[in-house]
Amino acid sequence: MGEVRLKIEHLCKTFGITKAVADVSFSIKKGEVHALIGENGSGKSTLTNMLTGIYTIDSGKFILDGREVHPKNQVEANKEGISIIVQELGTLSGLTVAENIFLGHEDKFTKFGIKNTNLMNKMATELLKKYGFDRIKAGEIIDRYNFEDRKLIEIVKATYFEPKIVVIDETTTALSNEGRHELYKHMERIKKAGNTVIFISHDLPEILEKSDTVTVLRDGVYIDTVSSKDIDEEGLRKLMVGRELEGDYYRKQFGESVKDEVVLSVKNVSVPGLLEDVSFDLHKGEILGFGGLSESGMHEIGKAIFGASYDRSGEVITSDGTHINDIPTAIAHSIAYTSKDRDNESVVMNESIGDNICLPSLDKLKLKWKFLSDRAMNNFANEYAKKMSVKMVNIDQFVSDLSGGNKQKVVLARWIGKDSDIVVLDSPTRGIDIKVKQDIYNLMNGMIKSGKSIIMISEELMELIGMCDRIIIMKDGKISGEIDRSVEIGENTLISMMV
Amino acid sequence: MDFITAIKNKKVVSAKVLGYIILVFLVILSWAVFKILTPKNFGSPGNLLSYFQASLIATVGAVGFYFVMVMGMFDFSIGANIMLSAIVGSVFAGKFGMGYIGLILGCIITGTIVGILNGFLYVNLRIPSMIVTTGLALIYESVANYISGGVEQTLSSELRIFGRMPGDIILALTAFATAYLILNYTKIGTYTYAIGSNEFVAKNMGINIKKYKVAAFIISGAFLGIMSILTISYGSSMVAVTGMASMSRNFIPTMGCFFGLAFKKYGMPLQAIIIGEFVINIIFFGFIALGAPTAIQDVITGITLLIIITLTTKVNKGDIVK
Repeated sequence: MGEVRLKIEHLCKTFGITKAVADVSFSIKKGEVHALIGENGSGKSTLTNMLTGIYTIDSGKFILDGREVHPKNQVEANKEGISIIVQELGTLSGLTVAENIFLGHEDKFTKFGIKNTNLMNKMATELLKKYGFDRIKAGEIIDRYNFEDRKLIEIVKATYFEPKIVVIDETTTALSNEGRHELYKHMERIKKAGNTVIFISHDLPEILEKSDTVTVLRDGVYIDTVSSKDIDEEGLRKLMVGRELEGDYYRKQFGESVKDEVVLSVKNVSVPGLLEDVSFDLHKGEILGFGGLSESGMHEIGKAIFGASYDRSGEVITSDGTHINDIPTAIAHSIAYTSKDRDNESVVMNESIGDNICLPSLDKLKLKWKFLSDRAMNNFANEYAKKMSVKMVNIDQFVSDLSGGNKQKVVLARWIGKDSDIVVLDSPTRGIDIKVKQDIYNLMNGMIKSGKSIIMISEELMELIGMCDRIIIMKDGKISGEIDRSVEIGENTLISMMV
Repeated sequence: MDFITAIKNKKVVSAKVLGYIILVFLVILSWAVFKILTPKNFGSPGNLLSYFQASLIATVGAVGFYFVMVMGMFDFSIGANIMLSAIVGSVFAGKFGMGYIGLILGCIITGTIVGILNGFLYVNLRIPSMIVTTGLALIYESVANYISGGVEQTLSSELRIFGRMPGDIILALTAFATAYLILNYTKIGTYTYAIGSNEFVAKNMGINIKKYKVAAFIISGAFLGIMSILTISYGSSMVAVTGMASMSRNFIPTMGCFFGLAFKKYGMPLQAIIIGEFVINIIFFGFIALGAPTAIQDVITGITLLIIITLTTKVNKGDIVK
């Protein structure tokens, strides 16, 4: 370790008036796991997207092993020895596993225009075997495999040709523990082979444990490069935010009593294959947390309450006795829901920030003759976007242009604007930087103080412990334990109920 | 369909075998219904062979059109292409005295040129394929009318080898084999599915999206050209219609394509198109045997096909269908 693999020199990228990457220069060494951290919108993904050919470079250069490279797409990047594993799904439906692994590299198997499918399948089978993924069949259509398996296939696709640099862009948030360990194993293998991993994650303990060096970006600007051994979480947070985080991170108070008034009763709710006979009450001003392993059924709880589950049995009843069985009834009775799958289930990506915020509140933005008022919509959207400090050019900007954290702020602005009394937040801080996380925690605090009630579903145990009045742990679709807020609760207490 | 889901989940049979079971069941069901209703003049082995022969015509066009549809595009100029290609082929074969060479080259080259125009204008005008091809269909109809001089173009009986056995079968089988080869054993096939699945990811993989979209239209056009050979050989003549009347020819190849898309998940889209078109023809000929009025025929055919496609494309709860 020590020799420079990649030099980044005065790199710039602008989107409209936003400077996503501004004159960034630093070096990455051979045989290291080099973490790239920063708040949402700090320019991490833009930088690696330029390196892997997804975005073009405005100015500046990448020098790989002493030679300037500027790939125009991922296949060209692969030829230069650079590959990427993305956060969301990077494989293509309708193609076989082998076709996905070798996509863009078919020429290796093609003679006189005819593709040797057998040879392609054979080589893919050998690779899958080598990686220990024997159960995945090379000739099968990839659609037959679940998200996790498809991620494993992406690992093979991105690393089989021994690239000099592998970018892992927030992949771990989408993986279960087992999948994460598989990924870590291959990161270690790449490193041992003398190659480099550029590792992007918001999980600071994971960053400190798995990386050798950390580079911090803030608002598109290079801040510092530090050795993981010489810094702790607090230090990284300070570098990312640029100052000490003011105020409290999680809720500080313990022992506060929650009102007895029940605002929502869930009775014997079951969803085939996902939930089994789940019952609980939510009280006024309470943050009720749900934790568990990813497939424990906890994510379905939110959908079941919001009337979005299919084939749900049992009852969800509000304090006025209304049975919630569908989404319109839920919204009409002041229930809000933000999904874990933010891009597909919460925001309308190719619509403006303004339209996204106004969507559930259109009824109150109507004029006398039932037509929508442009002015009222603009004022409404501006008010709540401002309240949530959404980083944007204006409310006409498309949501697809925003970073993950700002998308989440738009979702929250929508429901705050709707003034919902019961808010179900599924993984509200997933893939979000610490500053936005703190904003969200503060917002939740404010909400419960004003008498709103929150259900918080999260895979981050510390978040549950830090924020919730009560935590329910799910296992195999059932409630496996319940625990009240206390300073004595640690992660291990919850883990013992989860597994 | 729960039975099918159960079989699929337990993996008693492979997806492909299951697909064949469903398709064969549909063939038997559609045959049995009409056989019961009109036992004397429907459904003998000889009749079934002629239904199959008739179905080959639209099948050839459908397998080509599949390349366009699977990429998420559409073509409203199918009928106009068939009409124009058949008229040009007929003129080359008859008026220019070029015989079979004129017929084959005239039809296929015209179909291919139409495909090139469709694809080129679609990718460069950057407007939806439905709109581009609707506009172009009007132009192709007018060109066909101009070439034919408004007169019905007849293919002489000595040039109709592709309208009967074994000529039609040989031509159709050659077309199917070519489509199968392109789809499964060339880069075009892989990229067709890749673009249809996620154009953005495909682009990032270095795939030249515009090039392969044009290629899909070219392949479709060429196959529609072959379909026009079979159409004019089988029907012996072609009239150039205008005012979008050629759209009526879109229906059957498009329906076959829907079968292909529905059975893509079983890994047998082309086979599904072939058998699916056969099912459609059994229904058509069944109605003819019954002597049902055309309007009733159309209503029942439409409903039947919607039922078949709905059942075979059964999506998971929560999936968005556009």
